[in-house]
Amino acid sequence: MKKSALLLITLGLSGALAQSTDTIKVGAITSLTGRFATFGKMQKAGFQVAIKEINSRGGVLGKKLELVLEDDASDTNKALAAAEKLVNQGVPLIIGAYASSITKPLSQYLTREKVPLLVATAVDDTITNPGSPYVFRVNNASKAYTQGFIELFRKLQVKTIAVLTSNDAFGKSVMKDITTLGPEAGFKIVAQDSYDQGLSDFRPILNRFKSLDPDVVYLASYEADSVTIMRQSKEVGLKPRFFAGAATGFALPSFAKAAGDAAEGTLVSVTWSDDVRYAGALRLYKSLKTELKEEPSQHAAQSYAAMLAAADAIQRAGGLDREKVQQALKKTLLVTAYGPVKFRDYDGFTNQNPVVILITQVQKGKVVTVYPDRVSEAKVMEAK
Amino acid sequence: MEIFSQGMQALIDGLLTGGVYAMIGAGLSLIFGVMRIINFGHGDFVVLGMYSAFFAATALHMDPYLSILVVAPLAYLLGFAVHRLILSRLLGASEQSTKLASLGIGLVVSNAILLGFGTQPQTVDTTYSTSVWVMQVGTLELRFSVIRVVAMVITAALIFLLNRMLFTSEIGKAIRATGQNRLGAELQGVDTRRIYAVIFGIGTVLAATAGVLLLPLLSATPTMGTIFTNKAFVITILGGLGSMPGAIIGGLILGVVESLGSSIFPLIPFLNNHFGSNYRDAYGLIIFLLVLLLKPEGLFGRTVKRV
Repeated sequence: MKKSALLLITLGLSGALAQSTDTIKVGAITSLTGRFATFGKMQKAGFQVAIKEINSRGGVLGKKLELVLEDDASDTNKALAAAEKLVNQGVPLIIGAYASSITKPLSQYLTREKVPLLVATAVDDTITNPGSPYVFRVNNASKAYTQGFIELFRKLQVKTIAVLTSNDAFGKSVMKDITTLGPEAGFKIVAQDSYDQGLSDFRPILNRFKSLDPDVVYLASYEADSVTIMRQSKEVGLKPRFFAGAATGFALPSFAKAAGDAAEGTLVSVTWSDDVRYAGALRLYKSLKTELKEEPSQHAAQSYAAMLAAADAIQRAGGLDREKVQQALKKTLLVTAYGPVKFRDYDGFTNQNPVVILITQVQKGKVVTVYPDRVSEAKVMEAK
Repeated sequence: MEIFSQGMQALIDGLLTGGVYAMIGAGLSLIFGVMRIINFGHGDFVVLGMYSAFFAATALHMDPYLSILVVAPLAYLLGFAVHRLILSRLLGASEQSTKLASLGIGLVVSNAILLGFGTQPQTVDTTYSTSVWVMQVGTLELRFSVIRVVAMVITAALIFLLNRMLFTSEIGKAIRATGQNRLGAELQGVDTRRIYAVIFGIGTVLAATAGVLLLPLLSATPTMGTIFTNKAFVITILGGLGSMPGAIIGGLILGVVESLGSSIFPLIPFLNNHFGSNYRDAYGLIIFLLVLLLKPEGLFGRTVKRV
């Protein structure tokens, strides 16, 4: 009994020693396989571009930064198991995961363990509202994505909105945002529905929407569904003045390509695009593209910024102590090619980075930024 | 009126979706009817069909529907070979081992696709993906998706040909004989091992062709096979295990029930907050349970006596 305890201590010590000598390990969890895999690939590329950049500048605290990437296979339980593994390895903080439905339980577990979690992409409001002292988010909350749209809808004199979202943490969050913020801004919500992920036939819902003839069809969906919804909308003849998608599936470069002419005119709210006017944005776009060998999405840029913030916090904390890293994250003030990163408490949110929301539109098969005016060159085009 | 017009449209959509369901169910039912195997890899062969058409469209620039001419014969060879190499070794073994073997084959297929194409959903954009024929009846506007009608026609043609083969040709008779009584067929000089391989080949063709027909409508992911296996299972139980007409009717019923359920309930006040489109899969399962409860042998099934 005594012997084994001693052995455990020695093993633990040697583990800690091994880590303190060669590199600084940063834990990250994302969906490399499963239904969120495309987003996971984007995240991985973002992490790697950031790590290369940091290491070429001399690393952190004089050591190379090393990415310990765990795959959650788009599954909450696997994400929690991965987190436990990373916590036991003694990482100073964890970045992750992709989906809101996975990140929410992850944030609760890591808060209990007092390990800082840096959320790069997941948007569900409740991850940072009310949030926890150990959870920091680089991406904006889903509420902001909807607020961006509300401003634009006001300008476009929209009156009625029909809403369709996926039936999970992300979708429900968007549903709550639009059905509370919309009526407050004077819009009428004429229909609201949600669907389960998977093999979907949206035509019954879309037919119903068609009979209501709304000005806007407001959508929140992951990758495959966003394409299917647009195609089936065309099939059933649903023609609102605007289709509006809250990021995610609609924000992938593959969306406009896969949905073809059915995607034409779709408005999408994002936090980053390759034509945004932040210093270094174009260079970041190019490095991400080289890393991915395909068009990067905002998710890659968010992950890049999260990794920079992680490195910056470890540097300022002067070591791997989790409490010190948490304190350092709280004082983050970073300017990146994704925009500024500063974790603030406001409006019920805790440690939330407020990012400016951009709205893009698919125009003649190309995605262009149309709002806000000061950062965009193109104008909003209307279907009717 | 609202309910009527949307109900009509939902009926049409459901029938057209049901046509493809029928083809998936027919393959599973045929294999069960003759070989008494529930092929748990059936859905993975549907996905294989989707990815074959995807490959044909992206790498060879071939129209997805035209690729049936290539995919179908290849699927036959694959099914034939799978039986010869794996399942034929399990003749006479317990039912569990064939079930596990088919499950294993499905896993190999889906993981091979995963390895070859990666995990992201794949879609093909054809010029006719979203084209529709519109029919105006008074104030009622009914829309027929071109691609779904074409899929329905191909399904009907394939099942018709298959049925003719089963009832008129020599091999068809041998297949039916094998299905009725393997020992009896064997005594009449039928090579039942070969018949089994042929049947597994045909079942694979039906699954893969259904996959090709579905590709322009859905996004393909390597692991979606279980959804199709489950649907096929529900369809064959609805219609009666081993019955081809049953599989067709079962497919159509499932398509219509799902479509009507998710479009009618949300229109009814008091119900709309409780039965949204989320319950789409539940409507199919409710019918499935009702049939199991009231007519356990399925709508067209006969009680199976084993020799």
